[in-house]
Amino acid sequence: MKTVKKAITIVLCLLLIPVTAVATAAVKQRFADGPNRVFSGGPLKTGELHTGWEPDWSFVSDVSTIEMQLLDPPRSRRIWTTEFNGKLYVWSGYMGTAVGRLWKRWPVQAERDGRAVIRIDGKRYERQLVRIKSGEILDGISAAIRSKYSSQTTRAAVETGDAWVFEAAPRN
Amino acid sequence: MQYFYRFIAVALVVTVVAVTFVPGVDDLVEEVFQRYLGRAAR
Repeated sequence: MKTVKKAITIVLCLLLIPVTAVATAAVKQRFADGPNRVFSGGPLKTGELHTGWEPDWSFVSDVSTIEMQLLDPPRSRRIWTTEFNGKLYVWSGYMGTAVGRLWKRWPVQAERDGRAVIRIDGKRYERQLVRIKSGEILDGISAAIRSKYSSQTTRAAVETGDAWVFEAAPRN
Repeated sequence: MQYFYRFIAVALVVTVVAVTFVPGVDDLVEEVFQRYLGRAAR
């Protein structure tokens, strides 16, 4: 019994090392100007703020990921994006699993308050995230997503809530 | 066991310092974490 207790203690102590490494990296990223991979970053501070006409978003077809920050809470993350019919879209998968819902909290926060700032190639854009839950437009958006990424996002996946899609609309 | 606890304490301090100050270590940690997280979320 004593040996088992000792073994469990040793394993738990050794597990503390990677847990500490992950926690430290996550906390460090919170103070950074933007995200890195999965850990949320701080607010997007640097980069010229776009003003004026709505951009031609077709250039995002050459951009693999963008940085996106919500105003509330003011944290940023790196996400996929696509353009369809001149509009910009972002989305989150894994929303149908418990781990996914724990990991991806920004979609719920964005549905509550959609004000966001995105940064693409060092330039910042103020946007309003508007969730799209259903409709024919999802056929086109999901096709655009699949043609850009190795993703299995479909209209059905969005309509059942497995993936949450938002239009990054202009902010008024 | 006392030496083991000391080793763990030192390892934890070294981990925090390395992730915080050594360039690239935080990125490496995040990359590995991302791999496991992605697998778990599927």
